[in-house]
Amino acid sequence: MSVRVGEKAPEFTLDAVVKGDFKSVSLKDYRGKWLVLFFYPLDFTFV
Amino acid sequence: MSEFEQRNAGVVAVSTDSKFSHKAWLETPRKKGGIEGCKYPLLADFTKKVSADYGVLQETSGVAVRGLFLINTDGVVEAILVNNLPIGRNVDEVLRLLDAFQEHQKNGVVCPIGWAKGKEAINPAQAAAWFEKHAK
Repeated sequence: MSVRVGEKAPEFTLDAVVKGDFKSVSLKDYRGKWLVLFFYPLDFTFV
Repeated sequence: MSEFEQRNAGVVAVSTDSKFSHKAWLETPRKKGGIEGCKYPLLADFTKKVSADYGVLQETSGVAVRGLFLINTDGVVEAILVNNLPIGRNVDEVLRLLDAFQEHQKNGVVCPIGWAKGKEAINPAQAAAWFEKHAK
């Protein structure tokens, strides 16, 4: 599956590190806000 | 980051690394290749499902390519920028896109090539006037 402009972004809930703590982050957390969601290949590289 | 906060935008980064790898990277000083002090969340797509859902999973290597998705306040994708692995991104372009989509959302105008905040956008109902004024 892929994503297209003008369509809903696929939902997700993932483990995350937020300000040093382990938390869960979902797309839903950002309703009412804009979101820049970006992917990068590996930690210890550049983004 | 405040540039994004001013625009009511969150930023999150995703890779297929584990949350423990993320934590180690976040605790590594910048001069050692780390991102100590980074303020936005790092998400661990350890099963690679989300990368696959967004179409950025490179199956030969198992990592995500450099895909960026600008998602609006209703959860709809407004822009997609995808770079192959070797090339990083341009934060200014992401801010420009945010400004343009927000200008459109607020005022119903459309933003032509090279538009940036402060330049005149096009009111679709009066496009002829815009071209009269700006076309060379």
